[in-house]
Amino acid sequence: MKRLWKLFALGAALSLAIVRPALAQEEIRIGVIYPLTGAAASTGLELKQAIELAADLINNGTRGLNLPLTTTGGLPNLKGAKIKLIFGDHQGNPQTGATEAERLISQEKVVALVCCYFSNVTNTASQVAERNGIPFVNPESSSATLTQRGFKWFFRTTPHDDLFVTNFFEFLKDVEKKKNISVKRIALFNENTLFGTETTKIEERLAGEQKYPIVEKILYPAKSTQLTSEIQRIKAASPDLIMQSSYLGDAILSMKTYKELGVSPDALLANDAGFNDSEFLKTTGKDAEYVLSREVWALDLATRNPLIKQVNDIYFERYKTNFNGNSARTFTGLMTLAEAINRAGSTKPEAIQKALVETDIPGSKLIMPWKGIKFDASGQNTLGNGIIVQVQDGKYVTVWPFDLASKDIIWPMPKWDQRK
Amino acid sequence: MRDEHAWAKRIVLVALLVLVLALPYLVGNASQLNYAILVLMIAQAGVAWNILGGYAGQVSLGHAAFYGIGAYTSTQLLLVFGLSPWLGMLAGGGVAVLFALAIGWPCFRLKGHYFAMATIAIAEILQIVVTNWDWLGGAVGLSLPVAETGWRGLVFNKSKVPYYYLILGLLLLTLGVSWLIERSFLGYYFRAIKDEPDAARSVGIDLTRYKLVAITASSFLTALGGTFYAQKELFIDPGSTMATSLSIKIALVAILGGVGSLGGPVAGAVILTAIEETTRAMFGGTGRGTDLIIYALLIILVAVFYPSGVAGWWRDLEHRLLLFKRRDRASGKRKTS
Amino acid sequence: MNASFDILLQTLLSGVLIGLIYALVAVGLTMIFGVMDIVNFAHGEFLMLGMYASFWGFALWALDPMFTLPFTALMLFGLGSAIYHVVIRRIIRAPMLSQIFTTFGLLILFRGLAQFLWKPDFRTIDHSIVQGKVAFAGLQFGLPQLVAAAGAIVVTGIVWWFLQRTRLGAALEATAADKDAAALMGIDVQRMFALAWGIGAACAGVAGALLSTFFPIFPEVGANFILIAFVTVALGGFGSVAGAFWAGIIVGIVEVLGGFLLGPQYKLALVLALYLIVVLLRPQGLLGRA
Repeated sequence: MKRLWKLFALGAALSLAIVRPALAQEEIRIGVIYPLTGAAASTGLELKQAIELAADLINNGTRGLNLPLTTTGGLPNLKGAKIKLIFGDHQGNPQTGATEAERLISQEKVVALVCCYFSNVTNTASQVAERNGIPFVNPESSSATLTQRGFKWFFRTTPHDDLFVTNFFEFLKDVEKKKNISVKRIALFNENTLFGTETTKIEERLAGEQKYPIVEKILYPAKSTQLTSEIQRIKAASPDLIMQSSYLGDAILSMKTYKELGVSPDALLANDAGFNDSEFLKTTGKDAEYVLSREVWALDLATRNPLIKQVNDIYFERYKTNFNGNSARTFTGLMTLAEAINRAGSTKPEAIQKALVETDIPGSKLIMPWKGIKFDASGQNTLGNGIIVQVQDGKYVTVWPFDLASKDIIWPMPKWDQRK
Repeated sequence: MRDEHAWAKRIVLVALLVLVLALPYLVGNASQLNYAILVLMIAQAGVAWNILGGYAGQVSLGHAAFYGIGAYTSTQLLLVFGLSPWLGMLAGGGVAVLFALAIGWPCFRLKGHYFAMATIAIAEILQIVVTNWDWLGGAVGLSLPVAETGWRGLVFNKSKVPYYYLILGLLLLTLGVSWLIERSFLGYYFRAIKDEPDAARSVGIDLTRYKLVAITASSFLTALGGTFYAQKELFIDPGSTMATSLSIKIALVAILGGVGSLGGPVAGAVILTAIEETTRAMFGGTGRGTDLIIYALLIILVAVFYPSGVAGWWRDLEHRLLLFKRRDRASGKRKTS
Repeated sequence: MNASFDILLQTLLSGVLIGLIYALVAVGLTMIFGVMDIVNFAHGEFLMLGMYASFWGFALWALDPMFTLPFTALMLFGLGSAIYHVVIRRIIRAPMLSQIFTTFGLLILFRGLAQFLWKPDFRTIDHSIVQGKVAFAGLQFGLPQLVAAAGAIVVTGIVWWFLQRTRLGAALEATAADKDAAALMGIDVQRMFALAWGIGAACAGVAGALLSTFFPIFPEVGANFILIAFVTVALGGFGSVAGAFWAGIIVGIVEVLGGFLLGPQYKLALVLALYLIVVLLRPQGLLGRA
């Protein structure tokens, strides 16, 4: 029986025997880790498409785009070197994320990582990067705590939840003034993983500070088979406004349940995620009308920034779907990293990190409605901001900030039985 | 003949030990060492599980509860009181044992699937409670400080080698405890409880008492592994340290390797991790689920054709080889055994 | 009737409705267990496949899930018995752990295949003939949920009738009670096992089809239901069809009422705790054989 040890040795030798061929010189190897299988695979694949498009635009160039690096083909300061993306799959599991980061760094010899969508996976994977001294660009995780860790190699291009929720309340103040109403009863309806839990805390704190009464607070278990009891409680509290954080499956289920139980607040203000997934509108159809959601990107912003439409057209032609807030942010993440690598003129991690610290991209060269990209000492982009979109006639239209809005906000939304 | 056999075994064992000890200096890069660490981690948990699930035959599918308790206890003691993870590890083991005894006492009355289901239920409840427990970080989880502390605080950034030896030490400790149990009267009692519970009871063995002994050892050792997880990944949340999927994986390595054999879970861990990581590295990037399909097919094949795991396959092979030898020697007499 | 009583009543009845679906899923699971002592971890995946069958019928040929339901049932029946013949037959005498291992492998396999074939996207069926809601006595229910619950009762009833009133059903029951005796009496035990897998998968498939009119469809959807199905089966007593039926309703009510009264974050914990209490007081479950 002790001979099993033999097998152990054999297996260990086998599993370690995957040796990689020597690297080609003209490649800039960048590791990308997303949930490509598992519950969030549909989002993960979208992000993969977006980042592949970004790499393609950089590598092959597309004339007439005002994006950095898309004119020449490859990175000019590195003799036209091309970007090679190497993908990893974290399956939504923090340990797997760390393992994949380790593999990409020491086996695939990537010079930087773009990762991970899920905040908890970003947490572990960025630690691996930090310990190895590899720049880590995080385009989409919104947990505020990620940039409170004092990391030197961590750079986040997206704004975080603290800012997003702050936006919610600024938005409320603006709407109250504009529509001459007042929001008196808020219900919080958030899922109880990291995302919803952190959001709830920030919402409670800000509502308290700004004297908005919270009449019901519900943290529900993600992936429920039904949300009836939760939504019954909300109905019983008869709120004017529901603030909701849900991933896709729960977002769809809750919309169906609202309709079924006839829950009609004046507004439903969603916190991105499931409500902005490309599948959400497709699957809920007309029932999604009037839903408000925090966003970072919307197609109608193209009226102010033609770049948005140009890049989206290329994306649409290739994948038959539009960008959304997640994929646009991922796209921007790689663009930011590539711009820094080019400026560094080197693929040395230290040089890239230094260049990232000095990043200063103006808003006009982004496909985001941001003022630009510039990192503070914690690695947080300070120039990002959010917008609020509303579903009107089957499309997400920007309704806030008012100076970016392409349509007027519809508030209150019609009751279910008064809809066509 | 027998002596010769035992000698061969001993030589192989020593050679293996040397190989394992020298491994950090044989592997090419940190990622490969990381895989070796992952193998040892799940092997350690599998061996610990095996004491209860294999020897004593009480199939637990809730061992992640003990793992999570180990991780959370040491981490929280570190974050709140600055307690060294060495002590935190022992404390985690202690808390896990208390928890194990509290649930074992009533649940050991249950048999077979009922017991397995009860362990899933308990671990799930614990996960839900921790997810909603603010003091323990809730769903957000707990982050440990990343600063290098060396062997005092068990955080190593410069190299993964210390982690390797630490988990190797834990695995050897766990194997040692298993070996002692296997060789002592406890081993006999456990096997009796597993195979002939009624007979065991009739000769006066207090079944519940010895099941509690098994769960004590098993939960304590599992919790040590949990602390190691926290120190290695420096971030824990309920979903990654207490999930039923982890419980199942712990049981899987033991089943794959061979339930109730000393080295079985270790072999199982090597094979499972190799399958998992290789398929993911090769096919995971495609995003089409190919890696899952291959992984699933492989474990189904193993389960269907080698239900007694690698250990069973090995015993078969050994048996056949011996038969072959004997037949060789006795070829003139045409004797079959 | 005052408002809060209304809401309570409505909540309670919603619990019964979802509970009937749990019951149907659990009936299939308990069937497989009762006949051959195997816990099928891949049971949620049968439900997922039933949902996809409905979805594709609807997406490709505009056939309503209610119309394709019998075909879904047949397909899943075929799949269930095929799985028995190809895989399960070989592990029938293996230890419990290898069986768990095998069905767990099937679970991953089906999820992987679903993602491979149909992409991980979320899908819904939005123009089924059953849609809208029904109101009576101040209570409101989604028509899909009502139809699903009614369907669950009917199918559970059919399974019950089959087991109690037909020769084949009696043979199945006899096999469940004692394999060797059944074999001696000339019952083809292998065929009975395949039948149990077929019926078990069909029950889950029908539950999936019924759910498909109001629940999103994606490769991992089985995960949402499987733990509850286990608890339901164990609560009712492994192998007891009637037990699974009543336990499903109880689980639905406890989940929904508990979520309403105590806080949604603990609703699953409540169901699990209920299971533990019952099983500790009555180790064979509510209606299980001792």
